Amino acid sequence: MHPSLTSSRVAIVSGKGGVGKTTIAAALAKAAAAQGKRVLLLEVEGRNSLAPLFGIPSLGYPEHVVAPNLSAESVVPDEALVEYLYMFYGIKRIGKALAHTKATEFATNIAPGLRDILLIGKVKEAERRRVREAYAFDLVVLDAPPTGRLPRFLDAPRAVADLVRAGPIRTQAHGVLDMITDPARSAVVLVTLPEEMPVQETVESIATLRRMGVAVGPVVVNRVAAEPFTKTVERSLISDARKAIARAMEKAGVAAPAATLERLAAVAAASARRTRNQRAVMTELEADIDRPMISVPALLSPTVGPAEVDFLASVLSDSGAIS
Amino acid sequence: MSEDLARLIADRHIVVCTGPGGVGKTTISAALAVRAADLGRKTIVCTIDPAKRLAQSLGLSELGNTPREVAKSAYGKGRQPKAALWAMMLDMKRTFDDLIVDMASPDLAKRILSNPFYEHISSTLAGTQEYMAMEKLYELHEEGRWELIIIDTPPSRSALDFLDAPRKITDFLEGRFLRVLLWPYMKAGKGTLRVFNYGAQAFFRAATKITGSELLSDVATFFQMFQGMFGTFKARAERVRELLGTQRTAFIVVASPETESLKEARYFVQRLGREQMPLGGVIVNRTHAVEPIEELDAIKATGDPLLTAAAELYNDWRTASQREDEAVAKALADLPGTSVWRVPDLVDDVHDVAALRTLADALLGPIA
Ligand SMILES: Nc1ncnc2c1ncn2[C@@H]1O[C@H](COP(=O)(O)OP(=O)(O)OP(=O)(O)O)[C@@H](O)[C@H]1O
Ligand SMILES: Nc1ncnc2c1ncn2[C@@H]1O[C@H](COP(=O)(O)OP(=O)(O)O)[C@@H](O)[C@H]1O
Ligand SMILES: [Mg+2]
Ligand SMILES: [Mg+2]
Repeated sequence: MHPSLTSSRVAIVSGKGGVGKTTIAAALAKAAAAQGKRVLLLEVEGRNSLAPLFGIPSLGYPEHVVAPNLSAESVVPDEALVEYLYMFYGIKRIGKALAHTKATEFATNIAPGLRDILLIGKVKEAERRRVREAYAFDLVVLDAPPTGRLPRFLDAPRAVADLVRAGPIRTQAHGVLDMITDPARSAVVLVTLPEEMPVQETVESIATLRRMGVAVGPVVVNRVAAEPFTKTVERSLISDARKAIARAMEKAGVAAPAATLERLAAVAAASARRTRNQRAVMTELEADIDRPMISVPALLSPTVGPAEVDFLASVLSDSGAIS
Repeated sequence: MSEDLARLIADRHIVVCTGPGGVGKTTISAALAVRAADLGRKTIVCTIDPAKRLAQSLGLSELGNTPREVAKSAYGKGRQPKAALWAMMLDMKRTFDDLIVDMASPDLAKRILSNPFYEHISSTLAGTQEYMAMEKLYELHEEGRWELIIIDTPPSRSALDFLDAPRKITDFLEGRFLRVLLWPYMKAGKGTLRVFNYGAQAFFRAATKITGSELLSDVATFFQMFQGMFGTFKARAERVRELLGTQRTAFIVVASPETESLKEARYFVQRLGREQMPLGGVIVNRTHAVEPIEELDAIKATGDPLLTAAAELYNDWRTASQREDEAVAKALADLPGTSVWRVPDLVDDVHDVAALRTLADALLGPIA
């Protein structure tokens, strides 16, 4: 199966909290833009997580060009509601008045899914947007809510369509539903770590998404540790690292105090156990899902900024997953 | 100093483990609970979304939302704890249902529980999960069966959610704004509402257009039913807050040794201070303390593949360890009087009592 992260017009990037959704979404958008696609990158949680990855203080509303071929926006329900009202009713004044009250906060609390509908509605609007005859964007990348909230987020159109029996919101809901259930238009890219809990959550959410009729693209395994040792060495380190290292030192004719040997052995053994666990977890993941996997290395740099995102973008491009 | 932490575990009545998601809150909560029971305190740990295997080994997988004593078999070949260890898994919807049943007449409770809008409130309203964790804490406290209650908190989008939840929810349920919005649907009994700001009017028109009026009338019915209970609800939220604010409680902020996570921990520490909540300290989980090695270059220069690889690896880990130290110092060093405890990354997943004990040993030192 050839892994493609761009087989649909919208890539919905999700995963357990903290696994690297935002980072991978940014890298994916940048990689596609570098290949000449016109890309829009959206975040919907109002956390201003994307801006630092492009070296800017914040992403304003509306969209903002952050790199060649690449625009980004942090979608806020208030703004989305105003835009929506304007589009459908031409009510600019109400919209403005709304934005100044806590109205949307309440509206989005009382109407289940209204907030989500507004956010994902914006995604659909961008996906359908045309400039003259052509689509405005070749690819929309969404830094989506974590997997725990994703089903509810994607199910918002259905929930709203059930609740609201007529009117423009219902039409809107159906439009969004069409998009998220059409594999040519959207697919979920799940990001995970090579660890037990996130992998388990990935397997479970693939099943849930499939039940909802939502296409699932390749799984990105992020922060994969490099394997410094061969498997044979790894095994010997796990069974007795001190012995393995002492023997190698003796053979190489170097001497070191016991404390040094101890420290070296502790790190080597920890690394060996980690890479062994990592392989086991990835094998398990591969067996449990019939999706291609893309490995992304763990970076050693203390912060992730534009340079690191560029590097991760090149990793994605080199994996052949951007086409 | 791990003595401070040991003291908290020995003398507090409530320990709240909080912090960003995925950093090990649940694991640390459970490890502290096992240690307290091992030391002879009757303890309960209330977990939220524990890893499957951890839940299984604590016997939590079958029944949610009810405290159970951890079975003898959970300790495997290890010793039994000195005092009973209890555990439970929070089910927020059920906790909310129970609360309604507790506060309303049987008939009213039944009507509220079947209102479609209640379904939404009890399962998806932002802050509900946090609020229910506090509610459950209060119940466990009231039951009076445990010397120590350790409570895990949900993975909040922001560390602030936990403290804000009661206010957010009571604000929402009090919903003055909502009542104004919903006035046409509420039974007219309080005269006509004349004061009506432009924003609210505009909103009302837009909301009706968007959501359809059936939804608004469901919501209105819900608020009507709920009105009488609001006082009780709010009073309860205040009592929970009071309980959390006493010196019998300690908040422990858990973080990973990464800049973002530590930033959040810092924010939380400051926030707890402002709210006059008793901070126990910060646990930095999954650290990699790697000391320098003088002979590293010589070892690397041998050309032996194992030694070269091990030396390079050591170098990387040492750099990472220094960065962790810098990140911890930068985020937490200038917070006066804040204890910071570190726990190493055990590499292997922590999913049984034996591993929890190893973690407790790493955190607090072995039991004398
Ligand atoms: N491949 C990588 N190597 C090193 N660090 C990484 C890598 N990917 C992500 N990170 C770091 O991990 C942390 C979490 O990443 P990110 O914010 O992208 O996750 P997220 O899934 O969007 O989190 P949240 O659930 O909070 O939105 C960040 O500090 C990021 O810089
Ligand atoms: N010190 C540690 N060493 C190794 N693994 C750990 C450690 N602390 C936590 N873990 C693992 O990390 C994962 C997430 O921990 P968990 O306690 O569920 O996080 P949270 O409750 O903060 O979301 C679990 O698989 C757990 O076993
Ligand atoms: Mg993110
Ligand atoms: Mg947890």
